[in-house]
Amino acid sequence: MMRRRTLFGASAGMLAVPSLARAQGGQLQVAGVYSLSGTFANVGDLLNKGTQWAFEHYGNAAGQRINYTLLDDQGDPGRAVRRVQEAMGQGVKHIVGCTTSAIALAVAKEVHARGGVYIHMAGADEATGSECNRASFRWPGASFTAINATVRPFIERNANAKRWYTITGQYVFGESLLTNLKSVLQDAGHQHIGNSYHSLSEREYSGYITAAISARPDVLAICNFGNQTLDVLRQAVSFGMKRNVKIVVPWSTGLDQFQAWGPDICEGVYFGVNYWHGVEAPGNRVVQQVVRQKTNGTTNYLQACGWAVAQMLVEGANKAGSTEIPALIRALEGLSYEGPTGTELIRAEDHQVIKDYYLMLGKARSAMRDPADFAEVVAGTKAFQPPERTGCRMT
Amino acid sequence: MSGQVLVFQLLNGIGIGMIYFLLSVGLTMIFGLMRFVNFAHGALYLVAAYAAYVVSQATGSMLWALLFGPLAAALLAVVAERLLLRHTYAMPHEAQILITFAVALIVQEGVILVFDPLAKNVPVPDFLSGIVFLGPFVYPAYRLAVVAVSAAVAVLLWFALERTRFGAILRAGSESTEMVSLLGIDVHRVFLGAFALGGALAGLAGALAAPLRGVEPFMGLEALGIAFVVVVVGGIGSFTGALLGGLLIGVVQSVMSSLWPEGARLMIYGAMALVLLVRPAGLMGRA
Repeated sequence: MMRRRTLFGASAGMLAVPSLARAQGGQLQVAGVYSLSGTFANVGDLLNKGTQWAFEHYGNAAGQRINYTLLDDQGDPGRAVRRVQEAMGQGVKHIVGCTTSAIALAVAKEVHARGGVYIHMAGADEATGSECNRASFRWPGASFTAINATVRPFIERNANAKRWYTITGQYVFGESLLTNLKSVLQDAGHQHIGNSYHSLSEREYSGYITAAISARPDVLAICNFGNQTLDVLRQAVSFGMKRNVKIVVPWSTGLDQFQAWGPDICEGVYFGVNYWHGVEAPGNRVVQQVVRQKTNGTTNYLQACGWAVAQMLVEGANKAGSTEIPALIRALEGLSYEGPTGTELIRAEDHQVIKDYYLMLGKARSAMRDPADFAEVVAGTKAFQPPERTGCRMT
Repeated sequence: MSGQVLVFQLLNGIGIGMIYFLLSVGLTMIFGLMRFVNFAHGALYLVAAYAAYVVSQATGSMLWALLFGPLAAALLAVVAERLLLRHTYAMPHEAQILITFAVALIVQEGVILVFDPLAKNVPVPDFLSGIVFLGPFVYPAYRLAVVAVSAAVAVLLWFALERTRFGAILRAGSESTEMVSLLGIDVHRVFLGAFALGGALAGLAGALAAPLRGVEPFMGLEALGIAFVVVVVGGIGSFTGALLGGLLIGVVQSVMSSLWPEGARLMIYGAMALVLLVRPAGLMGRA
């Protein structure tokens, strides 16, 4: 199903892609690429809302009124590219967002080739590594960050838990998490005793969990994302794995997943998250205030992530004093601003935002101070590959 | 894979298979009786799962949720049958697929509007939240309870279909609706009853599955895929076929999780292709 939502600004309501070219002058046309249907529609919807609310909040960038349009890619990278081609063919140069790494990598090439700028939230390392380009910027920490900012502090606290078993989604992001995890374990002298791959369409994990239990690990690491992470952890806990195995979920979306699990499942489990609402930071307070006005609820990662890519575009344009692409890119490189996780810096060498990634530990229900207080921050780390090791050759 | 692990994977596969049976038996029953292709079957599963979520939140009791989930699905099935689907019985299968798929999408989007697109947790009842030790392995008590309920439903359903007047009418109707009609039986009421029963069975599967996997708006379409595989493997319209098909698919999936994890899901379809090669009408289907 295709849904296209034009959110505000001049020509709102009637606006669709064909009208984009007509809106010129004092307006900045921005397109968001999200999946509002398909496997990751639950993710895409919230990301899009975060972006929409940020643009509503800022209103203008470099003195130009922002006009935001959603391009629904239906979870399909090919469709995402076609929608972006249509939009850019009609004059849109500023693109934000993605729902999966595969979509981001495909769109990044297209936007670069057509002379635009693209700010996204892909999880695969390649986005600011071997597939980097001058036009593309990434907000969240990727798989290298997720593993290094969770597994290393976890090992410091649980030095005796040496035998690791992994359940991994067999797709780009899962593989990337697994590769980084193996590397960290080798560094630390810990043992990777086995792995079960599962496909992107899998929903029943009891067989993989049985295989994990029979390997008798000290630690189970779950290397996937989205609803698959929800199902694997839920089923692992139901099979009693928390009794004698520590569980680490290096990549979690945080609050929304904690709410889906409930405190009984979260208790005692380690999670890696890119964003946590409880972090004290001026930029976080702004996001929280707007999201609370909109939803009367607490900000989750997906909303914050959608917000962050929009904020980067606005901050860059304001610094440049222009929305022209070359000036905007120059302004974004090295830009420091107050983002949702504190002071964030866009690294010029690979266009990666340097920010904290958090290791969290699930709390017992009785220790929760409010309904969103599912976990405590155990460590906040800026763990990024040095630029010379990312494999990024900026083009 | 050691023998011990293999035996456990087989047992686990039987557990998964019983859940798949529950999910698909309503679908096969409706097709067997009416030759009606119901792509809205997954929507009934979805509605029941969300009903279970709402009731468990409101009452704190999963037992009430297990009662209201199937009732909600049966109600939706009856309303859909009376208002829309009965007008499509004479249409070709392609039209039925399009119409029922539209119903499934409307229900899915309705759930997103009423709730939101995020997954929700449905807690396991306290008295079933533990684990059971099976030799060196453990098995969740709730999962074991689901298998027991599915087995009980299979027995009851067999009894209802084979030993009651309603079952005899259903079976006769699947052979020749015209003949049943000529005998003075109101076939439309039979169809309505079959839809309600099929909906309640899908609903029971949804309500039972809610604590196993949580609820989210897209679970209906996922369930539909598995249900169709089971029905095709077992033989369209066959109650026994749904049971055998569910068990076969569950065992294949579980055992392959250890033998070839990355291909476990693929092998479900591999098993289906193999069965269709050997028996084109499915395990218990009639050519």
